Amino acid sequence: MNIIATRGLKKSYGKKSSRFDALKGINLDIKEGESVAIIGKSGSGKSTLMHLLALLDKPTEGKVGINGQISSRLKERKINKLRNREFGFVFQQFFMNSNDTVLNNVVLPLKIAGVSGRERKKRAMEALKTVELDDKARSKARNLSGGQKQRVCIARALVNNPKVIFADEPTGNLDSNTGKRVEDLLFSLNVNNGITLIVVTHDQDLAERCDRQIHIKDGLIESDSNRREKEQASEVALPTNRPSKKTGSLPKKRNVKKGAKQ
Amino acid sequence: MKLWDIIKTTNSNLLRNKGRSFLTILAILIGSFTIIMTTGINTGVNGYIDRQMESAGGEGYLEIMTSSVADLAMSSDFMGGGDVKEYNPEKDSSAVQYITNKDIEKMRQVKGVESVKQFNALQAEYITRSSSAKKYAIQVSEMPTNSINIDMASGRIVNLSSDVPEIAIPDKFVSPLGFKNKDEAVGQKVKIAVMNQITQRITEHEVTISGIMNASVVGMGRSWLNTAAGTDLYNAMTAGLPAEYKDQSYFAVAQLESGYTSNEKVQEIKDKFKDMGYTAMTVADEVGMIKSFFDAITTVLTIFGAIALVAASIGIVNTLFMAVQERTREIGLMKAMGLGKGKIFTMFSFEAISLGFWGSAIGIGLAYVARAIANSLASQTFLKDLPGFTLIEFNIISLVTVALIVMFIAFLAGTLPARRASKKDPIEALRYE
Ligand SMILES: Nc1ncnc2c1ncn2[C@@H]1O[C@H](COP(=O)(O)OP(=O)(O)OP(=O)(O)O)[C@@H](O)[C@H]1O
Ligand SMILES: [Mg+2]
Repeated sequence: MNIIATRGLKKSYGKKSSRFDALKGINLDIKEGESVAIIGKSGSGKSTLMHLLALLDKPTEGKVGINGQISSRLKERKINKLRNREFGFVFQQFFMNSNDTVLNNVVLPLKIAGVSGRERKKRAMEALKTVELDDKARSKARNLSGGQKQRVCIARALVNNPKVIFADEPTGNLDSNTGKRVEDLLFSLNVNNGITLIVVTHDQDLAERCDRQIHIKDGLIESDSNRREKEQASEVALPTNRPSKKTGSLPKKRNVKKGAKQ
Repeated sequence: MKLWDIIKTTNSNLLRNKGRSFLTILAILIGSFTIIMTTGINTGVNGYIDRQMESAGGEGYLEIMTSSVADLAMSSDFMGGGDVKEYNPEKDSSAVQYITNKDIEKMRQVKGVESVKQFNALQAEYITRSSSAKKYAIQVSEMPTNSINIDMASGRIVNLSSDVPEIAIPDKFVSPLGFKNKDEAVGQKVKIAVMNQITQRITEHEVTISGIMNASVVGMGRSWLNTAAGTDLYNAMTAGLPAEYKDQSYFAVAQLESGYTSNEKVQEIKDKFKDMGYTAMTVADEVGMIKSFFDAITTVLTIFGAIALVAASIGIVNTLFMAVQERTREIGLMKAMGLGKGKIFTMFSFEAISLGFWGSAIGIGLAYVARAIANSLASQTFLKDLPGFTLIEFNIISLVTVALIVMFIAFLAGTLPARRASKKDPIEALRYE
């Protein structure tokens, strides 16, 4: 089942003479549980595409479908709710409130969702345990190392039990070892919790670990390799550094409070 | 996001930049403190005057002067101001129109007037118990009516129809004059001295103390004489003056018949006097003049407070614009995580309102402290002789109103930055380095 799909997606910046077409018509189907790498040169439109997929921005032309609903037909309130409940975000520059505690940073999406204080704390601690930083819950965010910060951001991204995690250059600011740890974390979420992963990256290794690599060039899809399809076509051995994936068993426990206010 | 979470977030955001929040709150505080204090003084003064008025009586009592005297007192020419203009003997003559016996006769004809008499300006030199005892300066007036209630500490007010010269003195004279207590003073004889206007010779006149008065704004600390004493002193002051002189006075006092003391009737009679060329004032009119004087002062002070608040609200706008700028990323992040525009707006509005809240709350707190200090200082000094007069009085409703208005102004000031925050594009905000 497609969790996100686009048809004829175009995005232009500026007007008339200064007009710049960042995306020139993208057709894409992303299945639930997939891990997708969006790769390409700087300025090719990767981030622009990710923002459109994540409903952070509106396309100039074309459609984005989420769970079979066309986003342009949804009210802003509904879109906000969707982003809050279904999506998680990880950014290259971490983006957190460095003066606040780790716990308070992780709790933010739940606070926005209107989850009560105790429940909030319980789930944030669970998320921190997943990224193995539960012992840092009370520390100030600014005192963490880069790798720890990014893990906190991942904890924040998964605290709402999202269906999709969007990560824009999640390892871009990290050295290769810490970057590896963050990668492992993201893929284990993908494998164990069935969270769809959409990663924008320059890192070839990271891209290789994904099911699928989408190459963007000058606002268009240059190539789209779907490893799963390739795997099925030819029984090529899996790269050793990739966690094995039991097809068809996606253990999930969704406990997002349906009645909770945003 | 729940309202409670918004409020908590708001307060922790204010604490992030303590210095800046404190200065903004300080500015609001100055404005609200000023307004609270001035309204407090207004309430205190007016409350006291009203209470005095209620007990003052003075039903059907009028003070009358010729309109030319009244106009002169009010006109700017009196102060040397005004434009140069052609001489008009009707208006500009220095010959003020005194009230003479002829005027008194005319006034007596007005329906509803029971009695009218000239009010002679008396100037006493001093009061003393005997020619060899200590002398004290004193202000005396002839009691014009017996319809005004005087708050007596001992004895009674002067009897207007008695042939015995009588005086009622404020209690502050009791011990200087050497009386052990108020009660001992009643019935004693004292001497009031006046100076003859021609010979400048001082004569002493014996009067009997009929009673001791509590201090009050009614009469402003003067001593009252009955008609017999007043006539004595006036004759001594004016002996040797031509008869026409004696016949002239600035004021007349009138007492209306008991059926003519309703507001409408009094107004009718005042209008009638006006047509005849006189200006008549009731006790309420005179108190009203005192009140409007205080109102004018406190209004000016309140305007200063309001100006301070306007300046403070510019401070709020500034503070919040800075906060929005600083928190651009955070706002973007929260929007990306699905926090709606309305909630962002609410968050910053609450920040403004809570600046207003702390400003006015601390303002009220300080006002209570200032009130305690000012009232105790005042009651030990210039209000010592006016028991029951608290200089500054607060009432809860006006305090709450001031706080609400301040918070509302803060909210209005906050709408601009709050709007800017709510309109931030999450992508732009997250790109912001
Ligand atoms: N707000 C904007 N206004 C004008 N042009 C923009 C805006 N945002 C992006 N662009 C342009 O659109 C193009 C695509 O930008 P985008 O950020 O998607 O690139 P990218 O592939 O993510 O690059 P990088 O790898 O450097 O992050 C770039 O040429 C960029 O200059
Ligand atoms: Mg980018």
